[in-house]
Amino acid sequence: MRSLSFVQRVCLDFTGSLFPHAICLGDADNDSLNELVVGDTSGKLYIYKNDDSKPWLTRTCVGMLTCVGVGDLCNKGKNLVVAVGAEGWFHLFDIASDAAKAESSSQPEWLFGDDQKPCFTQHIPANTKVMLISDIDGDGRSELVVGYTDRVVRAFRWEEPSDATDLTGGQLILLKKWLLEGQVDSLSVNPAPDGRPELMVSQPGCGYAILLCSWTQDGTAAPGESRLTASAGEGPSRDVVLHLTTGRIHNKNVSTHLIGSISRGSKEDDSKGGLFALCTLDGTLKLMDSSEQLLWSVQVDHQLFALQKLDVTGDGREEVVACAWDGQTYIIDHNRMVVRFQFDENVNAFCAGLYACKQGRNIPCLVYVSFSHKIYVYWKVELECMEPTNLRRVLEERPEYTDLLRKLGVDTRDAEAIRKLIGDVLYRDSE
Amino acid sequence: MLPDSEGSCPFVEDSFSRFPSQSNIYGLCQAGEDELLAATLKGKVVCFRYQDLQQKIRPVAKEVQFTYIPVDAEIVSIDAFNKSAPNRGLVVGITFIKDSGDKATPFLNIYCEYEPGSEFNLESIAQSCLNLELQFTPFQLYHTELQYDEGHRETVFLLSGHDQRIHLYKENASLHQFEEQPVERFFPELMDLPSNVLWMNVLSIDGGRRLTAFGCQNGCVGLALVNQRGPEILQSWRLQQDSPISTVLLFPLKVAAQNGNTDEGQGDQVTEYNLLVSSTIEMAVVYRDVERCGVSRPVCLAGSDQCDAVLCALRIDLDFDGQLEVLLGTYGQDLLCYKFQQPTGSTEGRFQLVWRRSFKSPLLSIIYLDLTGDGLKELAILTIKGLHILQHSLSSTADLVLQRLANRVAKLSTAPEIQPVTKQDTEQTEG
Repeated sequence: MRSLSFVQRVCLDFTGSLFPHAICLGDADNDSLNELVVGDTSGKLYIYKNDDSKPWLTRTCVGMLTCVGVGDLCNKGKNLVVAVGAEGWFHLFDIASDAAKAESSSQPEWLFGDDQKPCFTQHIPANTKVMLISDIDGDGRSELVVGYTDRVVRAFRWEEPSDATDLTGGQLILLKKWLLEGQVDSLSVNPAPDGRPELMVSQPGCGYAILLCSWTQDGTAAPGESRLTASAGEGPSRDVVLHLTTGRIHNKNVSTHLIGSISRGSKEDDSKGGLFALCTLDGTLKLMDSSEQLLWSVQVDHQLFALQKLDVTGDGREEVVACAWDGQTYIIDHNRMVVRFQFDENVNAFCAGLYACKQGRNIPCLVYVSFSHKIYVYWKVELECMEPTNLRRVLEERPEYTDLLRKLGVDTRDAEAIRKLIGDVLYRDSE
Repeated sequence: MLPDSEGSCPFVEDSFSRFPSQSNIYGLCQAGEDELLAATLKGKVVCFRYQDLQQKIRPVAKEVQFTYIPVDAEIVSIDAFNKSAPNRGLVVGITFIKDSGDKATPFLNIYCEYEPGSEFNLESIAQSCLNLELQFTPFQLYHTELQYDEGHRETVFLLSGHDQRIHLYKENASLHQFEEQPVERFFPELMDLPSNVLWMNVLSIDGGRRLTAFGCQNGCVGLALVNQRGPEILQSWRLQQDSPISTVLLFPLKVAAQNGNTDEGQGDQVTEYNLLVSSTIEMAVVYRDVERCGVSRPVCLAGSDQCDAVLCALRIDLDFDGQLEVLLGTYGQDLLCYKFQQPTGSTEGRFQLVWRRSFKSPLLSIIYLDLTGDGLKELAILTIKGLHILQHSLSSTADLVLQRLANRVAKLSTAPEIQPVTKQDTEQTEG
């Protein structure tokens, strides 16, 4: 297995402790560059920008933050920062307008002060665990999905009066509640073969469930009605389609993570339905497509606890990135080529994605939260290719290469002659 | 720390192999054309190469079981060479210290296979051992080629020890084994050393002469110009630095001839021989044109004292311009690259730091060789944690190769007489 040692990293100060889902990368202030958003167990929200080791700004929330997210939850065409606490407090922050206000009032301390309150809070059911901001029903508008420690998943929609001027007038409306058999460790959306988004949740033992958005299937069912079905107790199980993947599963209760909508790299391929990956704490990794076809399966002997996607080769195809508690990280492409990286500390939380760490542009990064009050951002993880290769194979893909060899009278199959020719050309013709 | 203003390293890491125990500055050598041997402290020797399997190459690090190395041995140094023509069989030398409680005994094991057909097979070479007990603690194990009057060549081992001497081991062809020979018979310049030699380097130059350099624990550097016939010392120099010398390295450099007219440029280049000396505290120094000027023209490598002790050095043409660059590997986990700036007008030629790259642990040894069998060489870097293989960026090197191949084709079409590739006559052997 190919193994690499990434070196270029930025070290960020973070003194708190956090839940594994209280970290994300996203464009929090709508400047098209991604920030790192982290929430800790004391309710502090930190936003880091570029390679500055101190947070760019901090916010205070109520309760222990279990999940943070960045997305256009209110469907206003701009990203908001969402932080949800274990006790059920939901917070919305409009970082972009805060920043704009601060600039116009030229009072930076107002922006960077510690006591910034959220622009909206609401209490939702407690015991939150994971969160997703995405369009789950195909209406082109974002919904909020929250997974709970009691095996429940709830979907909410932001609604506000049409004459509302700011966020204070709106609220989250419960769309639906699903009850699952096992713990939900991740929520994701993956395109079905027909292109509709499907809400997927992970289930123990390398399984997953598709949650049906019955408010769309029931035609124009009002949110209130679906809430009724949900509370009736019969509805939830009917709208949960459980899939257990086959293969070597040693422990059917093992914690499982999932990530969907893994880009295949080209538009035509994307129309064939989405790719999603699964990983378990006992070291199984799988890549599947939405028609339940297994693309590959990899068994490793590390405890995988986080699963992400990231395009490290820059070819538009996203690789699967899985991280283990001991820092061992696997990057696997669609053809099952594996690149390993060992982060030298135990990992508290992990995420991978684009972050504008250096050079003022979004670059692929791996983010590790250690147990030593530091967050490490590896910002030079781009690879030319996943597979070890040599110059001859790269040259063989160039159209003019065989023609040049032929003109020089070198047989394209004579590896030894080509090796000598390339060696001569590089190390002896240096005009 | 050095400023970040320099260019970036043109190499990308292709693989990293972690070793079970650490190695040292004498722990890496090239074995054959495309293999590396790395020795780790706990008596293990790893053979690293790229395996070509089903049109795919993959790095393989495999332990080789060299016989007669006891389990409690600690390896000090390793070296390997192919015998001089016409035999070419592979010889591996390993020095180690067997510490069996009360008394530590040093040994030199020389592995060499005489069975026809097996001379290059590492597995069988590892089984045929000559075990020599040493009366001194070994340091660097080095090899160099002797030229005899009648044109016959032979490669011998040189081993420096803590007895302030260098020992020579030469094959006794009739007995099929290596034996110690008095060093002064072949290397009169290595007699009467001022201190223990930590590093030596021998370079054959034109006119049947050689340059020999050695660096000592007490900071003394010795340099000699020797006529291989005799052998006879033509000239010798000594200089004293303030700290132990970590490496000495002789290398040729093409410079504009002093009296040459500058309009001609390329035409008037002469080759001068330089000596690089790195010490554990002071800046690395290049003594220019030692063949003519001795040690009278030192040039400092600015900034080379900023990254802790320089432990290894290498000269390679890494940008394919025909001019050698100097690479320094430091205990401060940095790889530094210096390029010679041709003198312009009144300014003297000097070495400019062009880039640096950080590693995760201190650098111990560097080798540049073609591991992937494509004519393009890779940089192998031994660090305390393991072995890193850095590859040139393949896409940009492919562009260069295609351009130079096109140049060759163009030359072919203008000059009707096909000129075969001129065989390089001044091939240098070095360690």
